[in-house]
Amino acid sequence: MSITEKPLQRRQFLRGALLAAVFIPATGMLASCVGGGGSTTAPGGTVSAKNPFGMAAKSTVDAVIFKGGYGIDYATFAGKIVEKTQVGSTVKVTAATNIAQTLQPRFVGGNPPDVIDNSGANLIGINTIRAQLEDLTPVIEAKNLEGKVIKDTLYAGVIEPGTFDGKFVQLNYVLTVYAMWYSASLFETNGWTVPTTYDEALALGAKAKAQGKYLFGWGKEAATYYQTMAIGSAIKEGGDEVRLALENLKEGCWSLKPIQDVFTGLKKIIDAGYMQPGGAGTQFTAAQAQWSNDEKFILYPSGGWIENEMKTQTKAGFKMTGAPELTVTTGSKLPQKALHSTAGEGYIVPSQGKNVAGGKEFLRAMLSHDAAVNFAKTTFSSTIVKGTIPADGFGSTALVSQVKLLEGAGSDVFSWNFVDLYGLNTDQLVVWNTFLQGDSSVAQLTSGLQSISDKVRNDSSVKKVTVT
Amino acid sequence: MTAVVPPTAAPAGRVSAGRRWSRRDLTFDKISFMVVFLVIPVLGYILFVVWPFIQAFYYSLTDWSGFTPGMNFTGLSNYFKLFSDDIFMKAVGNSLLLVIVLPIITVVLSLVLASLVTVGGPSHGPVRGLRNSSIYRVVSFFPYVIPAIVIGIIWGRVYDPSAGLLNGILTGLGFEQFQSFAWLGEQRTAMIATIFVIVWGLVGFYMVLFVAAIKGIPAEIFEAARIDGAGRFRTALTITIPLIRDNIQTAYIYMGILALDAFVYMSALNPGGGPNNSTLVMAQQLFTTAFTKGQFGLACAMGVVLAVITLVFAGIVFIVNRLTGGTNEVAE
Repeated sequence: MSITEKPLQRRQFLRGALLAAVFIPATGMLASCVGGGGSTTAPGGTVSAKNPFGMAAKSTVDAVIFKGGYGIDYATFAGKIVEKTQVGSTVKVTAATNIAQTLQPRFVGGNPPDVIDNSGANLIGINTIRAQLEDLTPVIEAKNLEGKVIKDTLYAGVIEPGTFDGKFVQLNYVLTVYAMWYSASLFETNGWTVPTTYDEALALGAKAKAQGKYLFGWGKEAATYYQTMAIGSAIKEGGDEVRLALENLKEGCWSLKPIQDVFTGLKKIIDAGYMQPGGAGTQFTAAQAQWSNDEKFILYPSGGWIENEMKTQTKAGFKMTGAPELTVTTGSKLPQKALHSTAGEGYIVPSQGKNVAGGKEFLRAMLSHDAAVNFAKTTFSSTIVKGTIPADGFGSTALVSQVKLLEGAGSDVFSWNFVDLYGLNTDQLVVWNTFLQGDSSVAQLTSGLQSISDKVRNDSSVKKVTVT
Repeated sequence: MTAVVPPTAAPAGRVSAGRRWSRRDLTFDKISFMVVFLVIPVLGYILFVVWPFIQAFYYSLTDWSGFTPGMNFTGLSNYFKLFSDDIFMKAVGNSLLLVIVLPIITVVLSLVLASLVTVGGPSHGPVRGLRNSSIYRVVSFFPYVIPAIVIGIIWGRVYDPSAGLLNGILTGLGFEQFQSFAWLGEQRTAMIATIFVIVWGLVGFYMVLFVAAIKGIPAEIFEAARIDGAGRFRTALTITIPLIRDNIQTAYIYMGILALDAFVYMSALNPGGGPNNSTLVMAQQLFTTAFTKGQFGLACAMGVVLAVITLVFAGIVFIVNRLTGGTNEVAE
């Protein structure tokens, strides 16, 4: 008896330990769920012309900057400006590559940074945190370091992408122009003209084929660049009602006639065999190199970042140039030169930050002429601040053509948010890869995209943004 | 147990539980032993394993976005949502396909290789492997030394439709239909190509595991079998496999758990889930739901489903092994 008892006792002890393991943390957890979130705002400084947000004297600004293609030197540069204008203050610029993963604990713990560059592949979905962000209207209504009201120094259409339900929470710093990119030198030697409609593109495809080249090409992670182009074309063709239907995830929005016409135009190009085959299995920068380095295909729809992205893989004398996205007919509602342009690199200021005024002051420095010129010069990209690109574009043809496209479009600049806002890109990529490969019809593409939109519309747990 | 023990003083000759742990017995040695070998590991286990499990389960019952201190309790609605979500169900289907196919291929292939390099040699002289088997053993272990993400990137390049090694060789051999063939972009080949990469990466490890197990079998048994006239195939089937079945079971479960995860390989080869989501696995869907869509509650529910499937899988392997006559111990 006493021999058999021994192991049993040990087991009971273990069993007890296991029970404790289950129950003790359970109570602690319930308590911890309530905790967190105490915001401590630093005592404000005096509001003055030089300190419009009342940043506390000698305070520290905690800035977390996405470290991607643009690096973080431009932010350090802006930090130095803050330190100079607000004497005695310090700006701590930290680099991060996975913004969501890095900052999630700080948001939950109630001590987020004062200003964040929310960008990159792992950015925090703006819809998730927009309730916790500062309204940045005071920033653009303030005067910049040169004494001009900031709002008046910005390009058209840069405030709207950061405005959700009437609250301007995200300042997108880098201007992005969406266009169809080509090599001006290649087109010149072959005597090709840049197409403006899908029919012209189809005709150009035949000419390119004669030279052993394809018209378009794509990479598997970037198949939705064609969706971006298609939506841009459809909005130009059918006007604002197309944009609003898509933005508000309307029932049957993808079946609107302008969208269907664009899809049909694209399908003709695919069926004619003018797409570089194999894109669904090609890594996207490898696919882009087939365009910029091997010149296997001649047109590529993308954002203005393409030049910087392909800098090391572009043929000498390529002369990368952008053209407005195609329309279906010549009688489109918006002019052919209308432009899909928005701004990227979303800067946000969390309301729970320790130095909210400091975060805003940092943005004011970023929007100063010096900081904007510095950014353009070092990254070959334009900020949302006007008049920072010289005529030679620091030697970049793509940068010059971006400014030209913007000037050509005037006030006909549009953009949309629903893809990023609801995180639809991953699901849409699948549908687009199949379509571009020639494996699905226009009807299948439409129903695939529609069901992605419908799923979000019918999901009551997703907060919708109404766009008007 | 306690019911047997009388509540009054223990009868003579019988030491009750209470008496056994009297203060006198708790010497420094005993206490320090318990602290080092029991209390600290259990606390560590609770803190880093049990506690996150419970937290994840609790979060799966809420609508937590992942970025707020507070959250609302929503009961089982996340689970209902999951089971009516066609993309998640597709991911579950793919994970189940992997858990069925991957362990079988890997275990069978590594068993065959292990037999060849240990007992598959010449039929005269002592029982040994093929000539130069030690070289094969080292070479087949190479892929396991390479990190999974590197394997994924390398094979992503090999499968590249226009500039990849595979299509280059195939078209060079005259198979013109593989010109620009997208191995990872076609629905019918994407999963097979992916499975091949995972097997390639892991077969060496399981081979070494089985080699060690087979080496543990006394050579006399193989010699006796050979004298009785058993061929190599018969020896493998009726001598080797029954004697190392515990190792096979362990390998099977490890491989199954890896197949249910498979996150690294999948996101390196087809980050978007592949053509028509044909290579999308649960772990990938969990990641996007949590960090891209900001639905941590729903993502936690996916994690719970994944954990349940893993447990069920391990249970099935144990039951099958037991029904077919094995022990229920996992060999280490």
